[in-house]
Amino acid sequence: MKKQLITLTINDQDYEVAITPMDILADVIRREVQLTGTKKGCGEGDCGACTVIIDGKPELSCLKLAIACQGKKIRTIEGIADPKTGELSPLQKSFLDHGAVQCGFCTPGMIMSSTALLERNPNPTKDEIKKALSGNMCRCTGFVLIVEAIEAYVNAKAESGVN
Amino acid sequence: MNILSDFNYYAPESKAEAFELIAKLGDKCKILAGGTDLLIMMKNGLIEPENIVDIGGIKEFAGIEMKDGKGGEIGACTKIADIENSAAVAGKYGALSHAAGEIGSPQVREMATLGGNSCHASPAAETPASLCAYGAKVVISSKDGDREMELKDFIQGNRQNDLKPGEVLTKFIIPEPKKKSACKYGHIGLRKAMEIDAVNMAVNIAVSDDGSVAEADLVMGSVAPRPLVLPDIKDILVGKKVTDDLAEKVGDAAQAAASPISDVRASAEYRKDVIRALAIRLVKEAYDAAKAA
Repeated sequence: MKKQLITLTINDQDYEVAITPMDILADVIRREVQLTGTKKGCGEGDCGACTVIIDGKPELSCLKLAIACQGKKIRTIEGIADPKTGELSPLQKSFLDHGAVQCGFCTPGMIMSSTALLERNPNPTKDEIKKALSGNMCRCTGFVLIVEAIEAYVNAKAESGVN
Repeated sequence: MNILSDFNYYAPESKAEAFELIAKLGDKCKILAGGTDLLIMMKNGLIEPENIVDIGGIKEFAGIEMKDGKGGEIGACTKIADIENSAAVAGKYGALSHAAGEIGSPQVREMATLGGNSCHASPAAETPASLCAYGAKVVISSKDGDREMELKDFIQGNRQNDLKPGEVLTKFIIPEPKKKSACKYGHIGLRKAMEIDAVNMAVNIAVSDDGSVAEADLVMGSVAPRPLVLPDIKDILVGKKVTDDLAEKVGDAAQAAASPISDVRASAEYRKDVIRALAIRLVKEAYDAAKAA
């Protein structure tokens, strides 16, 4: 089938990509836009590695048609660090400081799910953190450290009094 | 894993446009709402539709409207997460709210829709049991107009529903719960997130002023090709106060009525045991909550 040109808005930047209707968002982000931070694990929506934030909500880019995402605001892991300096966000730093990254394959999805949670609920309880991450699998497995990293970030932010 | 068969993609912006398109394409199209089931089927090559009509962006098909004393209406394209997070739904239809929160993962719930969960007609779907226990009806629309039917009749078997070519499920109408009633939902699965239920069940009980059961409904999921309604519960409970013995009788009846299969998630034997235990627990929980209502 003939490819068609669509525009995807990813991390506040417009990308014109040539796709067919059957192209999956995760593939288009990785192959066409060349943002390879988003990972494709199971391809069936079970593992959460492909999580991106679409219009503020965490969604699975492996179960999304790219063509259906025109006009939506997509955020990937590349949009979390400072766009100018590339400096990691405090949440990302907390992951590193707490050893919450082992092989790293699940990390972008973990960061996207926890970012979506923290934007909706800046002071989550441990249970709320676990629930928000329940669709993200880590097979290394560092779940405990991942939860600790998010908790530490939340506590540090509460102590510093900055919202 | 990728989709290997190409298709035409349509994203109508209004109800009228969608009905025209779906009528024109007839059985040559599949309807896409949240995509969490449809895309997996396409990736697995189980279906190879020529045309996809994406109704997920049509605002008229989404929304929650809870009416004071007059039940509620939920648009078919309402996201599961919006139902899970709605205080109004939790207040009136607690079992539906509970079931919605048990679907897949947070990401799946942000994508999946209430209509999709029924239209996909998986025997293990989470929301049909509670919706049926509340007596929910579905509105099926086409360019020729609307028709209504009970959800329990709409779901006809494994992956089978009553939609004819040109039709689309647009709305759920849920009756007002009786005064002094409660509906409870429960399920058994292997883990908390991303599991597919081995058994799920909803029990809806209304009590009279003297504390005896006035109405009782029990609907099971994942134990038959379609949601299984247990009529026996009325004969066992109506007019009586629930005791341990009576709850166990409901458990026995539920166990006898169900015809579960053995699969990767559970053996038929285990499911039979769980059905009884779940029925006993939910009958007691619903009865106690109804008396306290």
